Amino acid sequence: MARDTTALSRRDVLKTSGAAGVAGLAGLAGCTGGGGGGDSEYPALGNYPVEGDEVVFGFNVPQSGSYSQEGADELRGYNLAKEHLNNGGGWVDSWEDLSGDGVLGKTVASVEGDTATDPDTARQSATRMINRDNAIMITGGSSSATAIAMQKLCQEEKVQFMACLTHSNDTTGPECVRYSFREMFNAYMTGQALAPVLAEEYGEDLNFYQLYADYSWGQTQQDSMNQFFTEVGGWSQIESVPTPLGTSDYSSYLSDVPRDETDVLVLNHYGLDAANSLPQAIEAGLDQDMEIVVPLYNRLMAEAAAGSIDGIFGTADWSWQLEDSASQSFTEAFRSEYDKVPSYAARLAYTQALQYAAACERAETFYPPEVIRALEGYEYDNAGLGAETMRACDHQAQRDVLVVRGLPSSDQTESRLLEVVNQTSRDQLGYGCNEGPAAECELGEYGDE
Amino acid sequence: MTDREVATDGGAVAESGEPASASGGSALSRLRERDDFVVVASAAALIVFPFLLVDVLGIVGDVIGLSIGGYTGLPSLVLIYGIIVIGFNLLLGYTGLLSFGHAAFFGSAAYSAALFSQVVPSPLLMVVVGTLVATLLAWPIGFVSIRRSGVYFAVLTLTFGQALYFYALGPGSWLTNGDNGFSNIEADGLFLGALPFDAPLTPLPFLDSYTVMYGFAAVSMLVAVWVGNRIINSPYGLIFEALGENEERVEFVGLNVFRYKLMAFVISAVFAGVGGALFVIHEQYIHPTTGLYWIQSGDFVIMTVLGGTGGLVGPVFGAFVFEYVANVVSGVSLPAIGSIGSLWRFVLGAVFVTIVWVFPRGIYGAGEDLVAMLTDRSGGEGGGDTAAADGGERE
Repeated sequence: MARDTTALSRRDVLKTSGAAGVAGLAGLAGCTGGGGGGDSEYPALGNYPVEGDEVVFGFNVPQSGSYSQEGADELRGYNLAKEHLNNGGGWVDSWEDLSGDGVLGKTVASVEGDTATDPDTARQSATRMINRDNAIMITGGSSSATAIAMQKLCQEEKVQFMACLTHSNDTTGPECVRYSFREMFNAYMTGQALAPVLAEEYGEDLNFYQLYADYSWGQTQQDSMNQFFTEVGGWSQIESVPTPLGTSDYSSYLSDVPRDETDVLVLNHYGLDAANSLPQAIEAGLDQDMEIVVPLYNRLMAEAAAGSIDGIFGTADWSWQLEDSASQSFTEAFRSEYDKVPSYAARLAYTQALQYAAACERAETFYPPEVIRALEGYEYDNAGLGAETMRACDHQAQRDVLVVRGLPSSDQTESRLLEVVNQTSRDQLGYGCNEGPAAECELGEYGDE
Repeated sequence: MTDREVATDGGAVAESGEPASASGGSALSRLRERDDFVVVASAAALIVFPFLLVDVLGIVGDVIGLSIGGYTGLPSLVLIYGIIVIGFNLLLGYTGLLSFGHAAFFGSAAYSAALFSQVVPSPLLMVVVGTLVATLLAWPIGFVSIRRSGVYFAVLTLTFGQALYFYALGPGSWLTNGDNGFSNIEADGLFLGALPFDAPLTPLPFLDSYTVMYGFAAVSMLVAVWVGNRIINSPYGLIFEALGENEERVEFVGLNVFRYKLMAFVISAVFAGVGGALFVIHEQYIHPTTGLYWIQSGDFVIMTVLGGTGGLVGPVFGAFVFEYVANVVSGVSLPAIGSIGSLWRFVLGAVFVTIVWVFPRGIYGAGEDLVAMLTDRSGGEGGGDTAAADGGERE
């Protein structure tokens, strides 16, 4: 993790944005190949230009706190991406923008930080990466609150943020920023993907009851579920009840669920919360009287509640069980490196790091506004989920969403707990730029206006 | 307002500095007896602090191959927490009241300053408003909580703090933006943004860790030290100390214990309020978890105990160690072991246990003992001077 000492700090660069500074940097940029020494065309901005022969990525993930297990898998994905970017392998061999010889001729180095699943810790850690380590791009987040906190900071500092695991509508809704891009889908799309499948599976004109984790993600999640269950299936909501984030005993909330009226119980909980609420609901026998739905699955929850997920529907970002070549080659590369199958958090991390590197290659510079423009409206089909578009108006990837179902205990293996029921096409999902969460999104400045 | 206080403060620095150096050969202890010594020493430490933390440690880190250097922004953050724990220590160290709800004052000041910035984008007024809100909030909370003592007092303050936290996270999110965090803060610099906070204070390139924000925080810190110093050296402050030692005796003397305790509580909330407002100016962001959650209150306690409750500025050293471990050590990768990452809490815990075990009077107390030992041994002026310098810049 040792990095080269750049005598010139970011603050210096800001100050010497004049002709002298740029001329001096042209010499450095010249030998990096790129496309005709393109780097000298732009003024200093954020941590641009990149000094020396290394470019630093900041991997800011939860290493402690309730999402730490997910953070560890994200870090595996990031480090695999770094390895492939520098030495080839995995998707780097198949993505035509990438060479396997660093990015724009520079070796990719990285710094790591712990967000502790806490927004302010995440910001401090990102600040350190930006100010001290001159990171050109920050990526990470395993809770929407930390992702939003980091992307706001990155917008101010004019450093790119590649959002990893964040599912709240707000990330690319009211809290969206120009400097952040999201590959993951959101709560709104979960509602769109889940509602038709459930309407077909369970029938129409049903009554549903919701519990939701009372924070950014939970609020938008229950809102979207209500909207689409009502619209698509003609279901009606009995009540939606907030539960504090981090609750360990849900029995009082669960005992309030009216067993006679309720047909479907939606548990808008994630990670440890769901690992608590779902088994408790099963234990209380609620699955005898009604169907239970967990809108967003993750591996932690599936593992912790393995005995309770039989037949429970939800959505997931991606699964290593997908059979397309991109998914398979990533799974293979990940497995040979770490001796286990990747979770979707790892795919998101891997994709986002490569996506940024590829955008720099297309833009032929690290200059942030140009990299952003290279990502906006970019169409790709090499990230394991078929055709995707990184939409320009809200920086939300328009992509397929997987509807998954928990397997019965007898069919489960250590790495296979869920089955993919349906890969809902992106044509049936999403929303226009002036509707849904995107309607409230104002991206802000590129920084070169 | 702050500027004016600074001017007087600056004067105090100059006045007290000269006789101290003029007396030269006089014993260190006499210098240390002086009321203003702590202010002068603080000023000296504040001048070198960012250079040591960011540049010197950065160079050391490059030499030994570990990224242990600080970053621009960390010195200001340490000072902001330092201001808060100075006030917290007036309550814990002097008056002997353990509050577990000081995040309430920190957070409410931060939020009100942030909201106020949308009306008037003036950092100075933000500090005034934040402090005012914290003070007004401390009155009723103190009034209710101080009727109980010990663990009941701690739990009562904790309850009020948590109530505010859950309000800010859920029902109050129309005001606070809830879990998405509040980031629409309209104060980017002093003098209507003419002097941006992240601009360097001097044109000298090697001093680029000295930002305008640092200057602002450092001046606030000096004011806080000066005010704190005046309080503990006043008759009023003596009563706080007496309360910490033996409450019953104070009562028998005929003093109104409740009133003094309430006053100590409110004063410490004022410091937390100043810190909260400065925090939001510095970070341009505030989230319920940062501002109001009980862990933040707990952090104040840890910083204070770590630094040492015996002296006025002791807790500042605790704030430094805490923030350094949380924000720098957490990003260090050791050659054989790998990334410290989440283990930073263990590191902090180990530091805490070691300090409390080996130096019950905290880092500052340990430093004081060291200085005393050195002066006793050498006895001479030379030894005293270096020891003073050591004490000032230890960390």
